[in-house]
Amino acid sequence: MRAVLIILGIAIAGYGTVLLWDFPVVIIVRIAVWAGVGLAVHDFVFAPLCAVLGLTGRKLVRGRWWTPVTVAGLCTVVLGLLAIPVYAKPGLRPDNMTVLNRDYPLGLWVSIAIVWACVPVYYVIARRLPVRQDEAVERQGADDVEGQPPPV
Amino acid sequence: MKPSPLRGTAVTARVGLALGVAVAICFVTGLISHFIQHPQPWFFWPTRPVWLYRLTQGLHVISGIAAIPLLVVKLWSVWPKLFERPILGGLVRQLERLSILVLVASMLFQLSTGLLNTAQWYYFQFFFTTAHYAMAWVAFGAVVVHIGVKLPVIRRALGEPLDDVAIAGSVGPSRRSVLVGTGLAVALATVVTAGQTVPWLRKLSVLAPRSGAGPQGVPVNRSAIAAGVIRRAKSPDYRLTVANGASTKVFSVADLAAMPQVTHQLPIACVEGWSANAEWTGVVLADLLAAVGASPDSDVRMISLEPPGPYSRTVLPARHSRDSQTLIALKLNGDVLDLDHGYPCRLIAPSRPGVLQTKWLARIEVV
Repeated sequence: MRAVLIILGIAIAGYGTVLLWDFPVVIIVRIAVWAGVGLAVHDFVFAPLCAVLGLTGRKLVRGRWWTPVTVAGLCTVVLGLLAIPVYAKPGLRPDNMTVLNRDYPLGLWVSIAIVWACVPVYYVIARRLPVRQDEAVERQGADDVEGQPPPV
Repeated sequence: MKPSPLRGTAVTARVGLALGVAVAICFVTGLISHFIQHPQPWFFWPTRPVWLYRLTQGLHVISGIAAIPLLVVKLWSVWPKLFERPILGGLVRQLERLSILVLVASMLFQLSTGLLNTAQWYYFQFFFTTAHYAMAWVAFGAVVVHIGVKLPVIRRALGEPLDDVAIAGSVGPSRRSVLVGTGLAVALATVVTAGQTVPWLRKLSVLAPRSGAGPQGVPVNRSAIAAGVIRRAKSPDYRLTVANGASTKVFSVADLAAMPQVTHQLPIACVEGWSANAEWTGVVLADLLAAVGASPDSDVRMISLEPPGPYSRTVLPARHSRDSQTLIALKLNGDVLDLDHGYPCRLIAPSRPGVLQTKWLARIEVV
């Protein structure tokens, strides 16, 4: 099964490579640069930045706040990514006002505000709910469990 | 730096499964669109339901956008592995790392170029459709290889409970909350963009490249100015030629308007992920073809007033050209076609990509 998947996958990707090979060299280079830059930006800019933000945030935000804050952070990142091609309307052409015809800065900031407004709401609701005993036990790690009492 | 205990195969496998589903939907719906535009003898695309292409293309962009938060979380969950030692290791490890490099690079390429294309931002200096198509095979192949390599790990991770160890006792985030948070981010990404194809989400889709507004209530992709057709489209000498070999008929706008008119509700759906339903009125294409004695089994070429370009002439397969709902439209939502919608007349056929619904028709010829 694994061998079949790996061979099949290599064949599919190989077909894609053949299709790419048909482009002129200058276009292949541009495609490779776009893919390579995307990878480098993720691995060495985006991911470390998120890690630093996460570690810093972890020190500042405690207890029950942390869960909703991380989810709101993820949602903010996603909204930011989706806003990249529309925020400043770089693709706008004056002959066609049916594309990029919204107020994107307003939309982005209002949606981010709504996301963060959900954080205290979640906090209040989560505080009012009792932590179920089975949930607490389920979440215990090895460090939470005490050793056996010594035999008398 | 101690990696967060939230990262781990339990989260990676589950988010990866969702990402795999999104990628598969994207790949299949993308192939459908490709083969409609580059027909193959074995490929069959029906005319009913009339909204079928609208559905597949809407799903293509919705699943692609849903893949963005899934990919962000998936990569977050495995990022520390990038720095695991040995960095290079033996041949097997090098091959595995190479396959992941291809996988991540091609996925980022597909999602970034696709997203930019929805907003018509061609910052990259290569032709979008062919590059996106070729790289789709690379990305999908890399996903299949990755599943093959990781199959035992995936099976084990999915078979076991989530192993919900919280990082700060019983109140901190758990792996379950990572998955719930990812689901929320996917839902949010969908809501803020899908309104360009799902009408009831329109008001909430604050980051959708199109609000749905446009002349006669329908958006436009290629304007009459961009196509350079204004003078010829407005000319009193305008005529539509319908040709079947030596048999030719010429129609003025008044001739077309004098023929029996039919009205149908048909969607116009673009490869860029927007769509709109509209009421089109015009002459049934099959009636025009019958006037020149064409066989109902013949494909038909649609030629625009637009100077030669990638979409100035298209071929409509026989299945669509003989369909009773395929119109040469003169009116849209009750009014004479706006110049940007293809005045004097345009093709509108059920379940076809918008880019092939040729506007500013000059000539229709039986192939």
